[in-house]
Amino acid sequence: MFKKTPVAASLVAAASLLLITGGCSATNTGKTAEAKPAAAVPAKVDYTKMTPAALAEYLVLESDGFDLKQPTQEGTTGRHRLTQDEIQKACSLGKGKEVDDKTREKVMALAAASIKYPEGGIKLGDWKKGRELAWSGYGFRTAHNPDDHVKGTPGGNCYNCHQLATDRTGGNIGPALTGYGARGTSPDMLKYTYDVIYNPHVYFACTNMPRMGAVGVLNQQQIADIMAYLLDPNSPVNKQ
Amino acid sequence: MLKKSVLALPIALAVIGMAYAAPGQKPEETLDELIKKSPNPGYLTQSPQNIMMLPDNPAWDVVEAGEKLFKEARGPKNVSLEKCDFGKGPGVLAGAHTELPRYFADAGKVMDLDSRLVYCMKTLQGFTNDDAAIKQKHGSDSDIMKLQTYIASKSNGYAWNPPMNHPLEKAMRDAGEVMFYRRAGTMDFNCAACHSQSEKRIRASVLPNVYDPLDWSKAISWPAQRTSHDHVRSSQHRVLECLWQMRYPNIKNGSDASIALISFWTDAARGQPAVLPDLKR
Ligand code: HEC
Ligand code: HEC
Repeated sequence: MFKKTPVAASLVAAASLLLITGGCSATNTGKTAEAKPAAAVPAKVDYTKMTPAALAEYLVLESDGFDLKQPTQEGTTGRHRLTQDEIQKACSLGKGKEVDDKTREKVMALAAASIKYPEGGIKLGDWKKGRELAWSGYGFRTAHNPDDHVKGTPGGNCYNCHQLATDRTGGNIGPALTGYGARGTSPDMLKYTYDVIYNPHVYFACTNMPRMGAVGVLNQQQIADIMAYLLDPNSPVNKQ
Repeated sequence: MLKKSVLALPIALAVIGMAYAAPGQKPEETLDELIKKSPNPGYLTQSPQNIMMLPDNPAWDVVEAGEKLFKEARGPKNVSLEKCDFGKGPGVLAGAHTELPRYFADAGKVMDLDSRLVYCMKTLQGFTNDDAAIKQKHGSDSDIMKLQTYIASKSNGYAWNPPMNHPLEKAMRDAGEVMFYRRAGTMDFNCAACHSQSEKRIRASVLPNVYDPLDWSKAISWPAQRTSHDHVRSSQHRVLECLWQMRYPNIKNGSDASIALISFWTDAARGQPAVLPDLKR
């Protein structure tokens, strides 16, 4: 899928530099800590000599702060989840920062390259199945309470962020999609909707909407079912 | 939605002008103060039931149990925690939590309430990581939560004011800010995706906005009773819950990664009064 770039080169440089000076204590200053078994003690790193970005990267991926070995449902590890791919890195914009034109183009191109279409073309599936998928926020959660994909099917989380049909309360991180079917089911509309669910960065670079097709949360059939829920005239999304 | 004047006016008047300390103020009065000041109180007022229940917060029982534990001689060294320095001198609890995380010279580290408490239980009382008193981090029945809830209750009404004098305090806060915006995980989330606008919702839950110190002051007011969990929860637990939704792996309790995030989030509420103990959904 997306190429995972390892920890920023600058950090590696900073960390290795610090490793040379270190080796005596687990604390993050020059203070001497209580004696501890040497093997368990990482080399000393001086946080105050690192840029905020380098320190953040160190804290996330090198400091033993997260369980990097924790297994994930897709068969990788916590480290893989926390290592940023190109889109994640380009879109980690700080306070008040907007994506610039060059980054936008790059992100859109990466997103376009990620999208795979069904062999027989884009068709609508079963809106009833789509309704359940749109509602469900199950799946891929790990941390202290990992989801078991044998017991539950991962969902699309759509209601977390969108109002869809009016029989359930949706969030408003994304725009309301109530009555979405009024836009029709032209080939362009089908492609647009498929693309947005598969990888929304192709239209909305650095959007907060997840790339649920591209990262394998939803398969092509499930996307077709959710599309039916959005576009089928009989779906509750399109009935008052 | 609740009107801004639900709580007794005379009490509210009594606290005006106490920007940095409000001894004797009750959490419900502090919350009322935040609501009255807020032009966008959607997050603060989202649960009329919780606002009504705040004076009878079940967390007060946990505070009481915590006070007993705090003053009791315990551990292999058989001493109380009354000599523990939470940053304002040994035994000083008033306004201590609202000035955490901070750098502690004895430990050579920036510590939050959780890790400072553990430090004192080890150094003063002689507990080790294997003792249940330290090992059990979560739940109203845990020593750690009883003690934290008691200690934090002494900071109600105090303005969040984490020190930024030591270079490590600044380094941790600044790294925490980068982490707040760092996107990763299955869903590409960063904290900002859900916490950088006013009156945004995940389903029906109104989300606090990190850029609004009034929202954020209540948001970071932990320990708080979680009505849906029927337990008092800590800042560390809230970090864990949001990371779980974000599809991140487990974060280690007391890790510098968790403390950096908490340093940033406390700084973001600077100047606004803490609601302690709080009651949340
Ligand atoms: C984390 C929040 C989030 C989740 C989860 C989410 N979306 Fe979105 N969605 C957004 C945002 C934000 C936008 C607006 C795009 C932008 O400008 O960034 C959007 C845009 C869209 C659009 C385009 C809107 C338009 O008017 O053309 C569609 C369609 C859509 N989402 C469908 C879905 C579906 C279906 C799901 C579930 C599979 C879903 N979204 C899950 C946040 C989310
Ligand atoms: C997908 C959305 C989402 C993301 C991403 C997210 N949170 Fe949250 N956060 C929530 C929800 C939902 C609540 C509960 C709010 C409620 O009940 O009103 C919450 C609650 C909180 C609270 C306490 C407020 C309360 O009322 O419970 C804090 C503080 C917080 N989050 C911080 C963070 C931090 C720090 C991060 C990044 C590590 C983060 N959040 C990422 C959705 C999110």
